[in-house]
Amino acid sequence: MITPVSNYQLPTEWSLEACLHALGDAFPLDSDPDQGLVCTYFDTFDWRLYKGGELLRLEQEGRERHLIWSGLDDANPRQSLRNPERLPVFAPDLPPGAMAERLGPLMAMRALLPVVEVKSRMVILRVLDDEEKTVLRIVLEEGQARTPGSASWHPMGLSLRLMPVRGYNEELAEVKRFLRKKMGLRECPEGRLAAALAALGRKPLDYSSKLDFHFSPDQRADAVARQIHLHLLNTIEANIPGVKAATDSEFLHDLRVAVRRTRSALTQIKGVFEAQDLERFKGRLAWVGAVTGPTRDMDVYLLGFDGYQNSLPKAFRKDLEPLREFLIAHQASEQQTLVNRINSPHFRGLLKEWREFLEAPPPQSPGAPKARKKIAKVAGRRIYRVYERVMIEGLMILPNTPAERLHELRKECKKLRYLLEFFQSLYPKKKIKVLVKALKVLLDNLGEFQDYEVQALKLRELAHQMVAEGSVPADTLLAMGMLVDGLLRRQQQAREQFTECFAVFSGREVSDLFETLFPHKPKPDLGELGAGS
Amino acid sequence: MRIIGVYNIKGGVGKTAAAVNLAYLSAREGYRTLIWDLDPQAAATFYLRVKPEVKGGSREMIKRGNELDDHIKGSDFDNLDLLPADFSYRNMDLMLGEAKKPAKQLLRLLRPLSEQYDRIFLDCPPSISLVSENIFRAADGLLIPTIPTTLSLRTYRQLVEFLDGHRVNGVERMPFFSMVDRRKRMHLDMLEQLPGRYPELMKSFIPYASEVERMGIHRAPLSVYAARSVAGDAYERLWAEVKGRL
Repeated sequence: MITPVSNYQLPTEWSLEACLHALGDAFPLDSDPDQGLVCTYFDTFDWRLYKGGELLRLEQEGRERHLIWSGLDDANPRQSLRNPERLPVFAPDLPPGAMAERLGPLMAMRALLPVVEVKSRMVILRVLDDEEKTVLRIVLEEGQARTPGSASWHPMGLSLRLMPVRGYNEELAEVKRFLRKKMGLRECPEGRLAAALAALGRKPLDYSSKLDFHFSPDQRADAVARQIHLHLLNTIEANIPGVKAATDSEFLHDLRVAVRRTRSALTQIKGVFEAQDLERFKGRLAWVGAVTGPTRDMDVYLLGFDGYQNSLPKAFRKDLEPLREFLIAHQASEQQTLVNRINSPHFRGLLKEWREFLEAPPPQSPGAPKARKKIAKVAGRRIYRVYERVMIEGLMILPNTPAERLHELRKECKKLRYLLEFFQSLYPKKKIKVLVKALKVLLDNLGEFQDYEVQALKLRELAHQMVAEGSVPADTLLAMGMLVDGLLRRQQQAREQFTECFAVFSGREVSDLFETLFPHKPKPDLGELGAGS
Repeated sequence: MRIIGVYNIKGGVGKTAAAVNLAYLSAREGYRTLIWDLDPQAAATFYLRVKPEVKGGSREMIKRGNELDDHIKGSDFDNLDLLPADFSYRNMDLMLGEAKKPAKQLLRLLRPLSEQYDRIFLDCPPSISLVSENIFRAADGLLIPTIPTTLSLRTYRQLVEFLDGHRVNGVERMPFFSMVDRRKRMHLDMLEQLPGRYPELMKSFIPYASEVERMGIHRAPLSVYAARSVAGDAYERLWAEVKGRL
């Protein structure tokens, strides 16, 4: 029953004075004292609150501070917290109650960061009826925005907001009609945050770790490869400040995924770069993967720690606490090593050279054999080749096949997944979705199989390390042993489910799609060969 | 959601002023607050500058049941809404009498609002009727403004007898002295003697004050135009005490 707020962004020809005049001539108005506003919007680096339809902002007025949680229209606060003692960073810091219940799961392990700061002046008009009752509030706001921590403010332009009063919808409709017909304004769905970001040349959701390329089939393969690599390089660079500051674990995760995708793209999109260029970067990118690994390992353990703990019977749970302390301490030292690596000339040089290479215009007459081929052909052939390999390797896996072969299969599956993600825009969306989904089932299964094993082995290694570094309670080692046991049992379960997961992937629907979507050389027909001999 | 009835059998005892001022204080603290002006004289509606009309009147409301929502009007103040009075409310007794479970109709109407409001104030018409019985049964607390005179005390006793006689339990009785004139001997005597005899009597009282009467000129709660007045302070003290009792 509560009518939502309407937002309008005014074109530059409308000044505040002109607006006041136009409205004042048309409606009986009164005004409240002007208000100043200083506010900061918060979200996770990858916009989890915004994606969930939620906004969180801190408004400051003198000494008063309000932490306000609202919907995307910026008005009708769902909850407002006066003078919070400290600002929430992680989900457990959120004030308990509705805010924590709704925003906590959206944020998951990510930290809240200040996204944009706004300061503005608001003129508040009240439209009156013949009882001199307020039937609608009109807020005219002129503001400036800046990136938190930066010095320069950017003008946001003039915006207008209609704040309905309950039970006065006719009056609201009348004002809306006036704005549309007489002032030529269009309602815009987004509020202050979008306007503030626009002033900085940004927009909401401008970072995502997901790939969303739009290629056309006739594009040159080397140009497309460059575009993919540049996007991944941007992702790597965007995450570096968060990795260095250890803001949350997902900066490093996203960085590592982007590096992995880069390495995969380098080797899988074959024949588009000169061999010597490929060699120049391949090894150094592998080095990035290697030096970022230890910190990520610790992060994974810490993120999953509560889960580990809860997998033990209650009486043994507290025995794991020394492990947590150990992990925290070692995470910190690994993080320091990692920061040193990222600050090293080697790392910075790599990114710089890589960017220079990618941004240089593609050579006129490239030596690489497939550089000038159409991307649809190159991509289709490659996807089909990797698919074939997944099928051959997958079909050869039997109950007693060594674990290494499953790990190898996982690698092939990952290559296939990255290829499908890079090139999905070249194919019908629905069909690609079916393939990615089936592949995901298989990858999840192989991932579990390998991760449980790796984790179990790593736990054993950690136990040795803890013993070597000093006194560790026997109970802790026992509890860790129980964890290892649980992990190995879950690994076994994953193994048992493999056949079922692979059956989904190797089924008729999926194989038909691979055959029809991706051009490939027809297989020799064995039947015909046989007849000829 | 808490429902607070403001009621007296007698009229002209400062009932509507109490309902509007206390509801305003509740809203100012951030509680989502609604006043339902059940008095066909529509004084609360007038104070909040809303037109006294409800589409379809009380007949439609009681017959159709769950449509209170459509009639609510936002006041000029944050968190404070009003369900305006309507002239048809003078016949509400008859409408209620025609319904099933006539004494529980208002509670049925109010229930769906529990998601939207933290506090609902009912500004009740004077006299004992089916409407007032409905209010007694719906309310968590009953504020009873009482002028400190012997006659007023008699009506309070009548009310108590009615509540006991109709087995209306579960409602917190909160009589308080209203329109207290310290120049009058009788008012002072009552102020001194009665708390001993009526332990439910609120400690805070509202003085007789011209700024309260001026609500009709300003058409706004007292705190809006005379925040630091004697009567304004008195309402704040009374509100603090009411919150403690609920």
